[in-house]
Amino acid sequence: MEKLFNKILVANRSEIAVRVMNACRALGIPSVAVYSEADVNAKHRWFADEAVFIGPPAPGHSYLDIEKIIDAAKQTGCDAIHPGYGFLAENSLFPGRCAEEGITFIGPSAKSMRLMGNKVESRIKMADAGIPLIPGMKDIGADFASFERAAEKAGYPVMIKAAAGGGGKGMRIVHAPDTLQDAIEAARREAKNAFGDETVYLEKYISNPRHIEFQVLADAHGNCVHVFERECSIQRRHQKIIEETPSVALTDETRARMGADAVRVAKAADYTNAGTVEFLLDEKGNYYFLEMNTRIQVEHPITEMVTGVDLVVEQIRIAAGLPLSGQLLNLTQRGHAIECRIYAEDGENNFMPSTGKVIHYSEPTGPGIRVDSGIMAGSDVTIDYDPIMAKLIVHAPDRSTAITKMIDALNHYKILGVRTSKRFMIDVMSHPDFAAGKTYTNFIEKHMLDRAVDNGTYRELATALATAASVTRARAAASSSGGGPAEQASPWEIIGAWQIGDSIHE
Amino acid sequence: MNRTEFMFDGQPVESLYERIGERFKVVVGEKTFELQPYGDNLYLVQFNGKKLTAAVAESRGVYYIDIDSVLLEVREPSQDSIAGGAADVGAADKIFAPMPGKIVKIMAEVGGDVREKQALVIVEAMKMENPVLARAKGKVKAIHFAVGDQVDTESPIIELELEEG
Repeated sequence: MEKLFNKILVANRSEIAVRVMNACRALGIPSVAVYSEADVNAKHRWFADEAVFIGPPAPGHSYLDIEKIIDAAKQTGCDAIHPGYGFLAENSLFPGRCAEEGITFIGPSAKSMRLMGNKVESRIKMADAGIPLIPGMKDIGADFASFERAAEKAGYPVMIKAAAGGGGKGMRIVHAPDTLQDAIEAARREAKNAFGDETVYLEKYISNPRHIEFQVLADAHGNCVHVFERECSIQRRHQKIIEETPSVALTDETRARMGADAVRVAKAADYTNAGTVEFLLDEKGNYYFLEMNTRIQVEHPITEMVTGVDLVVEQIRIAAGLPLSGQLLNLTQRGHAIECRIYAEDGENNFMPSTGKVIHYSEPTGPGIRVDSGIMAGSDVTIDYDPIMAKLIVHAPDRSTAITKMIDALNHYKILGVRTSKRFMIDVMSHPDFAAGKTYTNFIEKHMLDRAVDNGTYRELATALATAASVTRARAAASSSGGGPAEQASPWEIIGAWQIGDSIHE
Repeated sequence: MNRTEFMFDGQPVESLYERIGERFKVVVGEKTFELQPYGDNLYLVQFNGKKLTAAVAESRGVYYIDIDSVLLEVREPSQDSIAGGAADVGAADKIFAPMPGKIVKIMAEVGGDVREKQALVIVEAMKMENPVLARAKGKVKAIHFAVGDQVDTESPIIELELEEG
């Protein structure tokens, strides 16, 4: 097979960079990593065929610096760049800058990106295309009075969202007029920090919704298909933590209608490459267009597990000008897949970001188990970047088997030195409402706030394990002459006592 | 059997152990465990009729443990006295950032009353806003930083005068 590109630079880090490099390898294309000072020993830096150092940890001086990325691509002879998700993936200046240098950007056009990146403009465009929308502001709010009027009109509760938003940042639910102003301020601050744009807007808040999104793929020859749905209703502070497909909430009829609308959204945006159309589904089966994400999504592997499509390979093929693979024209959903996101967050302490050195790392294995990981033993998890470390994905013939398999796989997934929310996710999936498929976006607020883990149960066993480890360690030390380098202290060991709230917007 | 001592949740815990080939037999209090290694840092154990998968690794005198996804820490006795000193009583009057970050909002004034669990400061780290709460009731004695300041975890952002009882 002729190579689609000579060499691909992956303008990202952690698990998604590794994922893209694996797709490159599958296509026989060499890949180039970029890495900051914080990532000298990072997995992605060593998973590429070459690696280019691009500067200090702060993203603005490394992973977000377009010129440094372009220089790295030119220096290593790359003819294409894959942006992953986050960082430059949805920066509409980037595709043009790549084109100026004769480098192919593996993603949509700047124009589609710009349209979908602006949540206000894209709503107007999709309303014109006949796609159902949530009632709310037609325009961005100019002054507080316009927010008040829009809130009155839509009816409380309402939602404040960042125009440039995504990933739960710059979002607030407001239940009553007296907290509206504070929520707008907080959302603006967060939006400004996360996206450099403090513009926010308001819309009606749909209670008990599910988050259902459709994967779409579109080539440069006018072909556009959907690759079924993902349900991502299990969210904490608007961050997805557990995703699954198929959704138990969709009938074949609703699935077909939503899928067709997802394709219409992509076509209305003149879209090419892989994208995701997000909908809210209410209890009556009504659905509303939320936004389109113009990138590969964190949760894309569950789609791959049930369809057998390699979405990143498709992205590369589309960018190379090929038509969609033939298999995409005749897809079915086979079995059930679940993904759990492994964040460096303490599930037993209000999901506080956790940092430190990974002192032990081992992955679960077995049929239908996939780990997309950005870390390995010895990795440093720092405060410089998003806290996602890895994703655990399982595939089974049916949903209940997938749940059981996921719980067992989480228990065999061992990461020590940095705290995670594995136990929290197990408790979510062990809840009778989860088993019953009653997965609404308020699931965690409703079922998980009073949750407590009784560490006392394992008091004796933990001591027994420490005993075994200390004896093993003493024996290893006795049989080797020198000691290893000193471990770095994690902040948790240094800080001592402090406490934190469960949510900013109570 | 050999004897060792650790600290768990600030309490001393004693264990007795012997090795049977690669396997460990450990007695802690009333309970006896057999631990079967199955890889570096990994052990299998049958506990209350259930197979558990456990990992344990040590760093600076702290044993980090995962027993079926429950994360625990067991300390060597010398380590516990160091960590316990700063973390115990008296620290509630100083409000620290949980991790290095930027102060984006301060919701307290000097002289103002503070109730337990009241959010006092919002620190942005890892692109998320994290509220920092009061751990006890009191009055604000001093505020050492302003909005926009970078803070570390060593210097208190706010000091409180705690109310008795």
